Amino acid sequence: MTDDLIAAIGQQHSDFSEAVGRMVEIRAPVQVADLADEPLTATTDIMLKAGFRARLIVPLVGAQGAVGALVVRRRVPGEFPKSTIELLQTFAAQSVLAIENANLFHELEKKSVELQLASRHKSQFLANISHELRTPLNAILGYTELIVDKIYGEIPPKALTTLERVQANGKHLLGLINDVLDLSKIEAGQINLTLTDYSVKDIVYNVYSAVESLANNKKISLKVDIAPELPQARGDERRLTQVLFNLVGNAIKFTDDGEVAIKASSSNGSVTVAVHDTGPGISAADQEKIFEEFQQANSSTTKEKGGTGLGLAIAKRIVEMHGGRLWVKSQLGQGATFSFMVPVKVENQVGHG
Amino acid sequence: MTKRILVVEDQEDNRQILRDLLGSAGYDLIEAENGEEALAAVSKNRPDLILMDIQLPIMDGYEATRRLKSDPEFKTIPIIVVTSYALSGDEGKAREAGCDAYVTKPYSPRLLLAKINEFLS
Repeated sequence: MTDDLIAAIGQQHSDFSEAVGRMVEIRAPVQVADLADEPLTATTDIMLKAGFRARLIVPLVGAQGAVGALVVRRRVPGEFPKSTIELLQTFAAQSVLAIENANLFHELEKKSVELQLASRHKSQFLANISHELRTPLNAILGYTELIVDKIYGEIPPKALTTLERVQANGKHLLGLINDVLDLSKIEAGQINLTLTDYSVKDIVYNVYSAVESLANNKKISLKVDIAPELPQARGDERRLTQVLFNLVGNAIKFTDDGEVAIKASSSNGSVTVAVHDTGPGISAADQEKIFEEFQQANSSTTKEKGGTGLGLAIAKRIVEMHGGRLWVKSQLGQGATFSFMVPVKVENQVGHG
Repeated sequence: MTKRILVVEDQEDNRQILRDLLGSAGYDLIEAENGEEALAAVSKNRPDLILMDIQLPIMDGYEATRRLKSDPEFKTIPIIVVTSYALSGDEGKAREAGCDAYVTKPYSPRLLLAKINEFLS
């Protein structure tokens, strides 16, 4: 068809659509043997003037309804042969599939763009709220420390003790905010691992020195067992340190006497770090819960021991992003061992945080 | 002679905290609320040390640090940049901008003072 013809037809959308509409209703091809015998419409007039006499319209009907029509015109009047109609119906069926797929693909593209936009909004929101939440808290902690440091002069001992409670609560709140924001970022797929070469030994000793005084205060013995010849590893050193710090911190927190032991070993291209404590142990039912967000073994634990219950959820995600595993082995009354295993060399993070 | 510190910080509470902290430690303070004001303040009244917050309106802390460090007249003034927690880009960016040291918020006023004393004694 020439461009002029197409343009002319396009302008006659209404009466042409009527024919298509009829055909789509009955879902069968409709043919006109001779347009000259039909009541004259603007479209048929154009067609006749262009020299076409016979017309066959084959509907394109998919699962979701009509997606279009195949229109075939012939200069010779007369009915279209059955074989031609069948051929065109086959062609139509294929076309429907192709059109529906194209539509689906288009939908998918649209959704994908929407999701990206939503994700960007979420990340902007997280950045903003992070700043908004921490700013006043920093002021609270800053002023309180100045008072406690007696910058403003002597303070009565009772007031000092109270202020130290205020500080402790403020720091706890800060920890909560950080945890919640960390987890939100992980959920939003916005944590990207910073992969560098690191030494497992260094991580273990960094955590050890960070928790040493905590363990001493509770009179818990802190042990370290690092296998000799640990290979140089590659991964996100800061975040793996965070994971180990969380596990060891928990071990100390939940153990009232005895010991906490950190053990690092490697085999078959993986590094395994295990943290064992002589605390009360964890029941099988609780073992399932504790890796989920906001779940602690029981709510009285939260009140006693504090924490958000987010640390393990975050730790698990981080380990999994390294392509590793985090698990616990424990029995009530027999302490607990939390272990994580990661490949020695992580070159790509697994999935989005 | 009393050492002079330029505090570049847009939050009034944080400025007050630094006023009280640094004042009680015997330092003289000048204040600026954004990077642009900081540059003006440095030219007017040369400080011995600059405490630069990052999140500032009009001109942020990185830009102000960069400009000061590329100015032969001012590049010897030590700049301590205050970065936000766990925005892992911050520390690297601060170093790239040429800062002499950085502290992460929330900083302990005590530790900040110790760091400042390092540079100024």
